[in-house]
Amino acid sequence: MGQNQSRLENAPILTVENLRVVFSKHGREVQAVNGLNYQLSSGRTLAIIGESGSGKSVGVRSLMGLLPPSAKVTGSVRLNGRELVGLSEKALMSVRGKEIAMIFQDPAASLNPTMNVGSQIMEAIRLHNPMKKREAEVKAIELLKLVRLPSPETRIRQYPHQLSGGMRQRIVIAIALASDPKVLIADEATTALDVTTQAQIMELLVDIQERLGTAVIMISHDIGLAANYAHDVMVMYAGKVVEHANTKSLFSNVQMPYTKALLGAVPQLTTIPHSRLTVIGGHPPDLSNLPTGCPFAPRCPRATNVCTAEEPPLERQNDQHSYACWHPVGGQPLEAAGTADVLKVDAQDGACSESSTSTQERAVFASSLDERAKR
Amino acid sequence: MAVTSAPLRPELGGASPAPTLPRTGVRWSKFRRRMITWLSGGTVVLLILLCFLGPYVLPLHPPVGGSVLNSALPPGSPGHPLGTDVNGNDVLSRLIHGGQASLTVGIAVNLIGLVVGGSVGAVSGYLGGKSDTAIMRVLDVLIAFPSLVLVIVLAQVLGPSLPNTIIALTAFSIPAVARIARSSTMKVMSMPYLQAAQLAGSPWWRILFRHIVPNIVPQLTNFLMLGMAIVIVTEGALSFLGLGIPAPNPSWGNMVYEAQQSMSATPQLVLWPALALLVTVLSFNLLGESIRDEVNTR
Amino acid sequence: MTSTADAQVTSPRSKKHGSFLGRTAGSPLLRLIIRRVLLAVPLLLAVSLLVFILLEAMPGDPARNQAGMDATEDQVEAVRRSMGLDRPAPERYITWLFGFLRGDLGVSSVSGRPVAELLAERLPVTLELVGLAFVLSVVLALPVALLAARKPGGIVDRLIMVFSMTLLAIPNFVMALLLVLVFAVTLQMLPAIGYVPVQVSLVDNLRSVTLPVLALAIPMACFYARFLRGDLGEQLLGAGYIDTARAKGAGIWRILWLHAFRNSSFGLLTLVGLNIGALVGGTVIIEQIFAMPGMGMLMLQGVISLDLAIVQSCVFIFAAVAIFANLFVDIMYAVLDPRIRYGSH
Ligand SMILES: Nc1ncnc2c1ncn2[C@@H]1O[C@H](COP(=O)(O)OP(=O)(O)O)[C@@H](O)[C@H]1O
Ligand code: SF4
Ligand SMILES: [Mg+2]
Repeated sequence: MGQNQSRLENAPILTVENLRVVFSKHGREVQAVNGLNYQLSSGRTLAIIGESGSGKSVGVRSLMGLLPPSAKVTGSVRLNGRELVGLSEKALMSVRGKEIAMIFQDPAASLNPTMNVGSQIMEAIRLHNPMKKREAEVKAIELLKLVRLPSPETRIRQYPHQLSGGMRQRIVIAIALASDPKVLIADEATTALDVTTQAQIMELLVDIQERLGTAVIMISHDIGLAANYAHDVMVMYAGKVVEHANTKSLFSNVQMPYTKALLGAVPQLTTIPHSRLTVIGGHPPDLSNLPTGCPFAPRCPRATNVCTAEEPPLERQNDQHSYACWHPVGGQPLEAAGTADVLKVDAQDGACSESSTSTQERAVFASSLDERAKR
Repeated sequence: MAVTSAPLRPELGGASPAPTLPRTGVRWSKFRRRMITWLSGGTVVLLILLCFLGPYVLPLHPPVGGSVLNSALPPGSPGHPLGTDVNGNDVLSRLIHGGQASLTVGIAVNLIGLVVGGSVGAVSGYLGGKSDTAIMRVLDVLIAFPSLVLVIVLAQVLGPSLPNTIIALTAFSIPAVARIARSSTMKVMSMPYLQAAQLAGSPWWRILFRHIVPNIVPQLTNFLMLGMAIVIVTEGALSFLGLGIPAPNPSWGNMVYEAQQSMSATPQLVLWPALALLVTVLSFNLLGESIRDEVNTR
Repeated sequence: MTSTADAQVTSPRSKKHGSFLGRTAGSPLLRLIIRRVLLAVPLLLAVSLLVFILLEAMPGDPARNQAGMDATEDQVEAVRRSMGLDRPAPERYITWLFGFLRGDLGVSSVSGRPVAELLAERLPVTLELVGLAFVLSVVLALPVALLAARKPGGIVDRLIMVFSMTLLAIPNFVMALLLVLVFAVTLQMLPAIGYVPVQVSLVDNLRSVTLPVLALAIPMACFYARFLRGDLGEQLLGAGYIDTARAKGAGIWRILWLHAFRNSSFGLLTLVGLNIGALVGGTVIIEQIFAMPGMGMLMLQGVISLDLAIVQSCVFIFAAVAIFANLFVDIMYAVLDPRIRYGSH
């Protein structure tokens, strides 16, 4: 579970146990999240990665009750020992923004186009900390300075459409920080931005985290981003955790074929621009009809009969690394493994097949592992 | 009635209401939608059959020329299931004959609107540029009038009669249909396959009839359902004011008017044409919504 | 009455900001307002011309009407000359137009009184009806739509939607009679017909306009409520800023009112503007039913008695009101929407 020294010293602020989310809209039961377990301490960053549709957003939204009424959440989420699952809407309102805050993907859509940004920040401030408008405005300007928005005094009167994408996302972050939350969730907060802005925003988040000691959950389908900025990485597939490790351990010692495939899907710097991306062949499973066994089996080049018959448990390899796979890439098979070496596959050979993007999840990665190695 | 029944066919054929409630929600919400389509479509068909065939197959009294001796019989009187009005005419017969007038006006106005407005709009959208601007400006002038005001003046210019009522009401339907046809046409025009056809040198009429007309029909069909409702209501208003179907010939509008004259004595006489208008308008509105949903989800 | 059609014709969202901005310098707002006003002028002229042409086609001979049925040919000719009807049509149109601009609207051939004077008497009645119905329709629609959107798919939502769909299907003249039947004939709470001027008694004035205003406002309110409920629901489902607001810890009412409704208000504004025409047109029939001495009734009497001067002015004013309402809405839209007010970055 990626436990390490600092985690042992620092009691977790957020403890998630067996978190499950089922959507029962339209009569079908969509099992979007199937048993998440993790802990998060102050000042730490956990990255959740996975193809889209793997339940990353639903998993974090359920922490603060931000799901439509059709979602049923079970399990346990404890924030400083307080159970959040099953809280009333009213009780959740005092958690949202104050204890846990969230930044969403698209800064163009996250701000109300009809209100100036100042009042949107001030609303967030005053919701949890009633104060005069004047005082709130002073605080809002402070927040804008914190997120390094130039000339905050004039920006505060502007409307979202007058700002660039990066500036908007800074505003969204300012809103999230308005009540000094203990946990900050960034759901693909930089996906919609260009690479330069993306780096700036990530640096800003790291800086803020260091200054305020916030615990951060960053969601991304960009492994590169996770490698650069997270302490721990949790890989999700079909609503399940398939690999969870300290960042260094994960990248030096990938175990799960799916993670390996995700890594292979990162374009190299040498890739010709706009050439086809390597993506993982096949589809994620139907969440309303999950197969028995390993959910990745239909797409996994290492799959054997065991894989389809029995679901691999999330086993702990060591303190820093857990994974769920019968035939891990690292060559340390779980007990049930039979034919670990039958297929020696890596991303280049076939776990990732080059294929048209029309049928596959399009994982677009902005930076490469090579580039990261240099930094 | 080709206009109303054509788009319904796949819908009606595809779904047969299950005897028991379906278990799951998808089916339930879909089922409920189909139910609404069925009910509204069925009501419309029933209304049309009743009003157009009823006078021939049902043993109805004549709608006019009743005897004052039979004036204002209560509902349930022998031979007069819904009673009689102040002039001694059978209410049921007047409702059915009046419905025939209302539906005739509705269908004719919408057909004319569809043909004339649809062509004007499609051609305008197809030509674009100055001709388009010119055509739209002319339509803007018609649309600028509150429709009832324009229709009242036209009806008076033409004189009260069934055909004139139809002509007057097309002043409302033609520009409305033209606008929709135009915007749909412009949407179709930007499609790649259409540009391909233009590049391939297909003549304009071929492009218009092969590509554009079939593509704007769904939009127009949805509007026609709402158009039926609106035209029937406006015809009612016109006849209510004495400028539409001339009394003593029945129409729902002038039945409401006659009922108003004797409201304190026979209040129930208002209810029958009111109910007929309500059911008709509601059915067409619901049917229009169903068709729109069906087109959108496809 | 044509509310459904009008909404169909122009989806409010299709009014995209900026597209009609010219390339001239100046504040985008000012440019927009100037452009809209400049577009309205030729439209008004065209409308007045169409009215004139329509009246030319009216049956009957206004001169004979004026002179009376038993006047001799010579007398009729004299009247014709005195009314200026012997001159060619284009000249008469120009004369009317300039007269109208000066406030000289001609003389009613039936009552012999100046049309301007008649209008001055009648216009306040119609404006009161239209104004109150307008306010009421929006004021009724708001809470109903918010209540329904609070729990999409809930029992309140469904009831409101079914109820509003049904009321929407009742034409306003039928609604008027049903209201009379219930509140005047059966309950005897309110007068069935007649208008009491404010100067006589405010209470009686309000009592006298209650039923006509309700008859005009209820179908419109249902229409607005349904539009608003749909738009609010759409935002609750998918808008990013709603997510942000929820993540801030805002409650459902705050979200609906402060965030979702603010965004819906532009669409609603457009819809309301498009419906002013229908509302004004509705007064023709409602005033007739409730015997309200307004412009609608004046016009209807004019049409029936072939009082051309009256019809010409009334019809033109009705159309002008609708045009100005739309113009006003366009400008309001621009003033309220920061995306237009400040242009894009
Ligand atoms: N409101 C909803 N109703 C039904 N299913 C949903 C809903 N929201 C998300 N899901 C399902 O949950 C799964 C996970 O979605 P999500 O967490 O958004 O994926 P990710 O964030 O990893 O891209 C998806 O397969 C989606 O179909
Ligand atoms: S358990 Fe089997 S199918 Fe699943 S990832 Fe491991 S090898 Fe592949
Ligand atoms: Mg997501």
